[in-house]
Amino acid sequence: MSNSKFSNPARKALVFAIAVSALAACDVDIGKDGLTINKDDDVNYVPGTPDEPSETADCGGTRSGVNWGALLSENCPKLSDYNLFADSSDPTRNPNTGGIPYDLSTPLFTDYASKYRFVFIPEGEKATYSEHEAFDFPVGTVLVKTFAMPADTANRGENETIIETRLLIHRDNGWVARPYYWDSEADASLAIAGKSVENMTTQHNGQTLTFTYAVPKASSCTSCHSVVPLLQGSEDQRQPIFKPIGPKARYLNKDFDYEGYNRNQLAYWEEQGVLEGLPESMSEVSQAPLFSNAQDPALLAPEALHDAAKAYLDINCAHCHRSELTLPEPLYAGPAGSSGLQMEYNREYADDPTRFGACKIPVAGGSPDYPLGDVVPGAAEESYLLFRMNTTDPRHKMPELGRSVIHQEGVALIREWINQLPDAACSP
Amino acid sequence: MMKNRTGRKAIPAIAAGLLSSSLLLSGCIEVNDGDEITQTKSSGDSGNSGTVDTCEAGGSTSGFTFPCDAIFVAPDAQQGDDITEALLVALFEIPQNAVVVLPKGEFTVSETITINSASGVVLTGHGIEATKLDFSNSTGDDSIRFEGGTNLTIRDFGVYESNKNAIKVTNASGVHFAYTATVWEGPLESDNGAYGLYPLQSQNVLLENNYAAGSADAGIYVGQSRDVVIRDNVAVRNVAGIEVENTINADVYNNMATGNTAGILVFDLPGLTNAYGGNVRVFNNTAYANNAPNVGAGAVGIAPPGTGILVFATSDVEIYNNDITDNETTAIAIASYLLADDDLANYPSKYGQAMTNGWTPLVRNVYAHNNFIARNGTNPQGSLLVDIINGYTSPYNASGMAQVFPAILYDGVGELLANAGQLVAFQDFIPAGSQAEADGVSYQPYGQEDQICANDNVNGNPATSYDDVNTGQVFGTDPLDPNNWNAGFTAPVPSLLIEPMIGSSLLNCAHNRLPPSTASINGVVYGCTGDDLSEAACAL
Repeated sequence: MSNSKFSNPARKALVFAIAVSALAACDVDIGKDGLTINKDDDVNYVPGTPDEPSETADCGGTRSGVNWGALLSENCPKLSDYNLFADSSDPTRNPNTGGIPYDLSTPLFTDYASKYRFVFIPEGEKATYSEHEAFDFPVGTVLVKTFAMPADTANRGENETIIETRLLIHRDNGWVARPYYWDSEADASLAIAGKSVENMTTQHNGQTLTFTYAVPKASSCTSCHSVVPLLQGSEDQRQPIFKPIGPKARYLNKDFDYEGYNRNQLAYWEEQGVLEGLPESMSEVSQAPLFSNAQDPALLAPEALHDAAKAYLDINCAHCHRSELTLPEPLYAGPAGSSGLQMEYNREYADDPTRFGACKIPVAGGSPDYPLGDVVPGAAEESYLLFRMNTTDPRHKMPELGRSVIHQEGVALIREWINQLPDAACSP
Repeated sequence: MMKNRTGRKAIPAIAAGLLSSSLLLSGCIEVNDGDEITQTKSSGDSGNSGTVDTCEAGGSTSGFTFPCDAIFVAPDAQQGDDITEALLVALFEIPQNAVVVLPKGEFTVSETITINSASGVVLTGHGIEATKLDFSNSTGDDSIRFEGGTNLTIRDFGVYESNKNAIKVTNASGVHFAYTATVWEGPLESDNGAYGLYPLQSQNVLLENNYAAGSADAGIYVGQSRDVVIRDNVAVRNVAGIEVENTINADVYNNMATGNTAGILVFDLPGLTNAYGGNVRVFNNTAYANNAPNVGAGAVGIAPPGTGILVFATSDVEIYNNDITDNETTAIAIASYLLADDDLANYPSKYGQAMTNGWTPLVRNVYAHNNFIARNGTNPQGSLLVDIINGYTSPYNASGMAQVFPAILYDGVGELLANAGQLVAFQDFIPAGSQAEADGVSYQPYGQEDQICANDNVNGNPATSYDDVNTGQVFGTDPLDPNNWNAGFTAPVPSLLIEPMIGSSLLNCAHNRLPPSTASINGVVYGCTGDDLSEAACAL
């Protein structure tokens, strides 16, 4: 279909100052069907201030370091425009100056993809430590996460297909999310509308998984990355606040191999001068356990099992399923805090097991096959929560986004945890 | 997965003209906040004169006029096209006060459409029958989801076959749904989607002239919200037709609920952020033949099939001048949470936090009056009510004879326990100085102002079955009456009281009327003391 909204007279009205060279530079693809939302398709964006200074709005050009100016103000068509990596075709290593690789002790599950994370903090700026929440990063910070699918999950780092690179950019008005899809081996393109990658495959434990991998559209990012206002009346016009999820002390508090230099990530960030406020004693810093697909949860000691399950539920669920708890902004909560299921790592299970779903009847949704509650202590197979983790039916699956296959090891962990929970009123 | 049909379009040289000077300088397409998305009608006679005020952008079948600067999504899309991509791009970081017009016809959408923190935005189609979006092949869960935002308007289109919820709006201030349909076609089945029209944790919510059909949960659902007006909607063939849950200040009037499991529900559930609702008026609605099997799950799964109006653990509710006919179980049921969960010993462990936040299982101050009640109770159903049904439809009730199931039914057990002082220990859950305390949340014995009242209701049965309209109360509420207790006065015993509704001594009391609720959106006040001042229902 032809979707130009512009009549020819309108086009003529806008034809001014055309530079032919710019056309090539602006052959922008932000769609998902071969990335084909072009300038002459449905929607055409015209900046409100056409006389903006060019030096802060330059995506292209050659430069040696990170293109901080473009990051702050531009949604560049190509990932390489931001010049984040020494080799623009390899977002898994060698960040340009300002970039530090990191990983998380317990990560969000994304279809068994490998993830390569970097934080870029402008020179001279620092993130501020928080005990329970994501660190407070300065304006200009970019969190970069690249997703790559290994041919075999047993051999990560080898034979991987780079799929997408997501940027969280802290701009003057807050964080924005910009997904880039690797539509060629050389570079990735801005994919505002996301991308469905059909027939993605990986070998996992000798089994071939084939599925449609979903690169999220930019507007989906807020579904997980926002906290929402608990509105207090007509005068209250507060809006959701966009936040990073992963870079919290408990997940960063682990060692990382900085090309031979093995160091605790938090200590390293402090050494590098990009983190302030880290407690003197690391024993005061929360630490989530290391998740491993190879770990048999049945072999964990009870406390370790509980800890592993809470960390898993936190990183996979509690970005939405959280209450106000330790959020620095008063009267904000996770987007699904309203469901009553609230599973923050820094919440004690015993204080109110209902918050973790114990014997809690689902408010919205539910399934007639799981009448006893989200979590039925001692009876994982009767727990609606486990069913939702263990399905790909879009009506029921959890998390709602970013998962096309079942995380078998995650399900096994939560199954074991539920089965070992102390009996409650709904337990059979 | 539906293949997107949008073909890649060759870029003519003239297309470069669409780029502004700054785009040329930057080499980027910008989608920044504050950017303007321009639209010019293709039939406009002059694209460069700026005389946009004379345009004729058209309008919807309900009379909404599209402004000249409206954004038309995929205006040339053909019937059946997948317009997902165009929708996503049009709605991404959408400018303030934008009017986004969906194309005319039936189209497919293959993903969840999310709109974040929009302000003053109108999402409109060409009409409730003129624009239909089919999500049956969507890979997402909800069909359309607004997250945050102020003064949102959703109107004049239909959402069909959602995987989960049809249109969800969370944490928004000012939400107006009008002439919008959410539909699952075919029979009501458990794998139909969940909520149809679904504002959650929002304030100033107006739902009017909408149509909700086929939801396996609630067709029209307002949860954990405040200042809500629900009027002139039609809810058909859902589990719950219209449901107001943990919501403060709601007027529900001039709606039609038919063919649902239960017509109109007012619920307070434990454990939610907005711990309790109240001040809900349900009036001048028609709740007709709501007899569908309950295929729902979770909380709504308890609703007995054949219920016209159900109040469950919500206090301060007024039900009046409704036409409640042909519901096979009961016209109006008023119940404490104890009807669903009588395990009081475990309340502190299960609901302690909820009770601290002000939720109670009790129901106080419900007043049902001037309702027209006809031909209900002919085939009572519902697992929640099995024992009660067995009692009333056999001689084992207070009358000693089998009866037609009560048209107005009150459980009474919470009141009995409160009156006996058996719940006073729960009073400690309510923090001193809390809002709940100020709102009168209490476990003390019921005063006159707390009673459940039903009077001046109209028996609409034909003469031959005039005597079949009954008022029933499962438990007596006098703590000193030994009939209400077991031998040791330790456990309540149901009496299954029943009397003809007209002249009944049961629930024979009256209350002060509740104040109207309004919703303020874009500076306009909607509701009985707003734009409906002259509406007949508002004078009842």
